[in-house]
Amino acid sequence: MQNQQEGKDKQKQITRRGFLKMMGGIGLTGITATIAGCSTDPAGGKGWMPQQYQVASSYPIQVKGRIPIDPNNPSITRDDKKCILCGQCIEVCQRVQTVYGYYELPIKNDITCVNCGQCTLWCPTAAITERDDIDKVVKALENKDLHVVVQTAPATRVGLGEEFGMAPGTFVEGKQVAALKQLGFDAVFDTNFSADLTIFEEGTELIKRISGDLHEPLPQFTSCSPGWVKFCEYYYPDLLPHMSTCKSPQQMLGALIKTYYAKEKGIKPEKIFSVSIMPCTAKKFEAARPEMNSSGKHAGKPQLKDVDVVLTTRELARLIKAKGMDLNNLPDKKYDSLMGEGTGAGLIFGATGGVMEAAIRSAYFLITKQDPPEALLNLTPIRGLQGCKEASVDIPGVGTVKVAVVHGLSNARPILEAVRKKEAPWHFIEFMCCPGGCISGGGQPRTSLPPSDEVRQARINSIYNADAHIYSKRKSYENQEVLALYEKFMENPNSHLAHELLHTHYTDRSKQLTVKKKNA
Amino acid sequence: MSKGVLVDLTKCVGCGSCTVACKLWNDNKWDDKNPTMGPSAKLTDKNWTVVQFKEVKDKKGEPVWRFVKQQCFHCKEPACASACFAKAFQKTKEGPVIYYPHLCVGCRYCMVACPFNVPKYQWEKAFPLVTKCMMCNTKVEKGEAPACVSVCPAGVFKFGDREELLKEAKSIIAKDSKYVKHIFGENEVGGTEWLYISDVPFDQLGFKTNVTKRSLPSYTEAYMHATPFVGITWGVILTGLYHYTKRRNQISKDNNKNIKA
Repeated sequence: MQNQQEGKDKQKQITRRGFLKMMGGIGLTGITATIAGCSTDPAGGKGWMPQQYQVASSYPIQVKGRIPIDPNNPSITRDDKKCILCGQCIEVCQRVQTVYGYYELPIKNDITCVNCGQCTLWCPTAAITERDDIDKVVKALENKDLHVVVQTAPATRVGLGEEFGMAPGTFVEGKQVAALKQLGFDAVFDTNFSADLTIFEEGTELIKRISGDLHEPLPQFTSCSPGWVKFCEYYYPDLLPHMSTCKSPQQMLGALIKTYYAKEKGIKPEKIFSVSIMPCTAKKFEAARPEMNSSGKHAGKPQLKDVDVVLTTRELARLIKAKGMDLNNLPDKKYDSLMGEGTGAGLIFGATGGVMEAAIRSAYFLITKQDPPEALLNLTPIRGLQGCKEASVDIPGVGTVKVAVVHGLSNARPILEAVRKKEAPWHFIEFMCCPGGCISGGGQPRTSLPPSDEVRQARINSIYNADAHIYSKRKSYENQEVLALYEKFMENPNSHLAHELLHTHYTDRSKQLTVKKKNA
Repeated sequence: MSKGVLVDLTKCVGCGSCTVACKLWNDNKWDDKNPTMGPSAKLTDKNWTVVQFKEVKDKKGEPVWRFVKQQCFHCKEPACASACFAKAFQKTKEGPVIYYPHLCVGCRYCMVACPFNVPKYQWEKAFPLVTKCMMCNTKVEKGEAPACVSVCPAGVFKFGDREELLKEAKSIIAKDSKYVKHIFGENEVGGTEWLYISDVPFDQLGFKTNVTKRSLPSYTEAYMHATPFVGITWGVILTGLYHYTKRRNQISKDNNKNIKA
């Protein structure tokens, strides 16, 4: 019995110890094997590649690679960790905007980019985004010494809501103003105001070109879209005399904030920090152009910039969310006075054809001194998403004015070639870099991927609806604050001071690339 | 016929697709301290290929931007494989010089041997290995181009039989006066599978142009061939000495015994 008991104890003892030893041994062997790797495969090749690259080397791949982005690009930036080489950025840059692939290799000393940011809308992983400037604005808002002024572009009010769960095209003008005031901006102005102002300046310039008072060629090109302007500077520098010398509405308002507003309010220009909320990434580039310091030069301080920071609609949405605000719950507020009034004509700048329609409404009045007929207030031939649209307008005293509207840079090339060959019958051509105009700019919410015409149309409909039913004034010459500006400060359109502050010049960038003879 | 890649540096636009493809296919981690693109791009144990940005002067003396892709050149007679006694580095018949982690003993002779300073060591790991570009040998075996080559949107690379590519490179630089009359990789260290052509002299682009035209293993071949003979000879000598001393000790022991007796 005793022997049996001893045997059992011994067996039990051995079992426990043995078990632990065994488990420990197995664990240790396992860990060592895992770390050291028991595989006899060579290194590498354990990852994945997008499907389109899993082909024999000679098989043609339609969409591949990605666009080059200069690390110093002021508008867009890319996070390599998120890039999946889907090729969508090349697709839009080459086929929709005709920028990538339209220059000979080797490249010179520039990575050709018009800063439009359409690639940020097409990128499925959001690897390409706008350059984030939110911190600069937050710092300025926290600085008690600075008077921080903000302006909002026509198109942001039909896009911002989408970032907060609203349907595409929801009109959030009042809520956007409320959000900006709650964020702590000292004054909230409307770029619609300077859009109306642009109509005065650009319309006067057009009439002068037609009448021969200004010895510049026709057709006149609009200059509101900085992506389009840079495109023309790269590929069609010989046509730059056609470009209106008017600054874009953003830069006009920027120059006025640090001159007219500063003077009216008695604030030193250097104490003003000027921010703009734009649907566009190219606006960041435009604001950084060295010549955009008219207010600085006017004040004898050329280091001052007219617009200090540009935020896209998406950045504004992030800023609002970061402050814990929900746009849905904000009450509608109104823009501040002095430069907060806008008309329907200014608002439709946000849609393709809008600048042209607004210009025609005012040109009719400037020439005939009469209100335009109702048909000119709904100029349907130049509305909609067709790539190139044209219209003829009879203006008493001038005759028939022929106009064309182009959006998306691929649509611009044939028109520009026609102008080059002097085969263009038009007097005035509106060019917008982005398909659909500013409402589908590179800084707008990524509501559909890739951007769809349904979303574009919803935003456009919202703009025209506001022009027809929400805004009380539909013509730029009815803008009382613009009239007051001329009366108190600028004297008249195209005056000396207007040229100093509201007009600009362009740069021939053709030396930075070798334009491809036969386009890809 | 070994496979190779012809790189035309004049066509590179600096998009860096190739560096991303390398990371994706080889599942390599991103290295925050060492970027894969730009002026400070650097080959590391995680970055098997990088694109260096160079601001140089062209033939007319005008400033131009060039982008230089770096990776293992896959020498025809690789010094790394020659230096590796564990056969962790092996040259395949298709061209890639590949590395087997399970054979590596961690001596790092390969790193010393490589004339282009390509193999890198995983210094931060508890069980480190040597790493380098494998020329995506599993893809090359199937007739596919390496990952980096397959993604290029600008047509920088051409993948194919090395000898064919060499002919093509010669014809390109003969026809077009913009190219410098040199094919990097044709003769460097006895020839490499990666061939480069450029319009800017290679030394300005950071290439190591002062390397020998002879293959590096050929320098050591003569000595290393003698290894077995040296080994056997020493074996014979030492065995002889062993038996000699053993016998001498035995005799001396026996003699001492005799004295005592």
